[in-house]
Amino acid sequence: MNLKNIFGKKGAKTIKNGIWREHPISSATLGICSALAISNKVENAIAMSAGVIFVLVLTSVIISSMRKLIPGRVRIIIYMITIAAGVTIVDLVLMAYFPTISEAMGPYVPLIITNCIIMGRAEAFFIQNPPQHSILDALANGLAYAYTLLVIAIFREIFAFGTLLGVKVTPANWVDWVVLAAPAGAFFVIGIFLWITRTVAGIEPPGKG
Amino acid sequence: MKWLHNLFDSFRPHFEPRGSLGYLKPLFEAIEFIFFYPAARTASAPHVRDPMDVKRYMTIVIVALLPCIAASIFFFGPRVLLMILVSYAVGGLVEVAFSCIRKTEIHEGFFVTGIIFPLILPPATPLWVVAVGIFFGVFFGKEVFGGTGHNIFNPALVGRLFVTIAFPTILTSGWTAPGAWRGAVDAVSTATPMALAKTQAVLTPVADLLMGAQSGSVGETFRLGIIIGGIFLMLTRVSDWRIPVSYIGAVFVFAFGGTVLGGLFGGAENAAAANGLVAGAFNFGIFQVLGGSVLFGAMFMACDPVTSPFTRNGKFIFGIMCGLLTVVIRVFSGYVEGVMFSIVIMNAVGPLIDHMVLSMRYRKAQA
Repeated sequence: MNLKNIFGKKGAKTIKNGIWREHPISSATLGICSALAISNKVENAIAMSAGVIFVLVLTSVIISSMRKLIPGRVRIIIYMITIAAGVTIVDLVLMAYFPTISEAMGPYVPLIITNCIIMGRAEAFFIQNPPQHSILDALANGLAYAYTLLVIAIFREIFAFGTLLGVKVTPANWVDWVVLAAPAGAFFVIGIFLWITRTVAGIEPPGKG
Repeated sequence: MKWLHNLFDSFRPHFEPRGSLGYLKPLFEAIEFIFFYPAARTASAPHVRDPMDVKRYMTIVIVALLPCIAASIFFFGPRVLLMILVSYAVGGLVEVAFSCIRKTEIHEGFFVTGIIFPLILPPATPLWVVAVGIFFGVFFGKEVFGGTGHNIFNPALVGRLFVTIAFPTILTSGWTAPGAWRGAVDAVSTATPMALAKTQAVLTPVADLLMGAQSGSVGETFRLGIIIGGIFLMLTRVSDWRIPVSYIGAVFVFAFGGTVLGGLFGGAENAAAANGLVAGAFNFGIFQVLGGSVLFGAMFMACDPVTSPFTRNGKFIFGIMCGLLTVVIRVFSGYVEGVMFSIVIMNAVGPLIDHMVLSMRYRKAQA
């Protein structure tokens, strides 16, 4: 199982960069806002990640296949329209089939439009690369976003609610850590996550490198 | 003492950078430093002439805290010692771990944080909450910023804030009645003087507040001891008198003035009503100073030299703003006590105050 054999040299590099080396949250600090807001419960994190991955892939296909046709001056508007269309699909599907999750996530579903990961990858990658690489990049970045959200959400849900996917996992005399249920508490968890991943990956903080 | 010195000398090679335990060098030096002066001497000017170093400062603060600690053990039982022990053990572990990783020496600043933290908790706080709080306080309040002397916020208060927000039910219900541990009173827990004042408008008498036989945080109830300790700190110049004095003064002035103003606008026309208003406001002001943790906060936490402004005028501004915020939070918010919040908020703007004071001074000198 060698990534290079399956995806080619460039494809393998794209995947590695997206998932680890240029991790959208810990390296580029993109998408922090939704990672803070929506990572309090695992089911929300899964729904959010699925939505973001879907929109990312859709955007990557459309933008990268049209990249030679899009005039440079209006490219941002084209990104926005594409992303908005994808987000509307996600929003309507959630509302139709998963009304409880849709209600729990509230305004954060439409706010996927402003998720900097999608905009950032469109501008940095999709507009310059052919569709096959762009899809890999979109998947890699989406997966990176998803596993980050999952790790944080697992941690927060256990500590803040004593549950995991709604199932009680803590002892009966467990005391909930109320602070971790609030977005403010997510700052500490994300901070530690960034610290660990950046140290392991050897990413220097800006200004020092 | 010669044998002890030899003992340290025989162990030293193991803790040198190439020794088998080289990564624990800070721990070795810290232990040695408790018994002897460090082996290092200043090689060039300026030479240290005063043996007053961080360790001595910290020792004096702990000495100043002794009356409060003794009184708290008398009121709330030997459990207090257990809380202090847990606080020292967990916080010390964080401190030692960071020193070993960073290869710096272990700073004595932790000795004060570790003893103040249990003193500002409710007496019935579970020991694991003490552990979580001190871990968080030392970790996020101090080490993340770079260790002793680099922190923006008072680490003990950061820990207290975190456990307050994380475990609101535990931290607002653990008010053990003083003396309950030896069966001196029947009640297990009682409302604090601040809660009584807020919910039932009952002001606890001044003498009771001074002697400390009410419920409250572990170390805040014996106010006479706090005042003595605080004055001792100011006389030894370990703490600057400007912050405690302006803080306590401001609490009184704002509580008194606010009540009088409120009464006047509320319509106290005749002389008798006005006299009663002033007397009531005076009592209220005294209560606001003595009740709750204003004294403890002002004497032992607001004047922390690391987190408060270093300019003299800045210290006055800092103290007055702390007092204003304390009264405002106590009177107008849902919380019964505002000392913790006010000091942390002012810690955040402390450097800004210094900047303002310095730039005003500088502009005046130029003109």
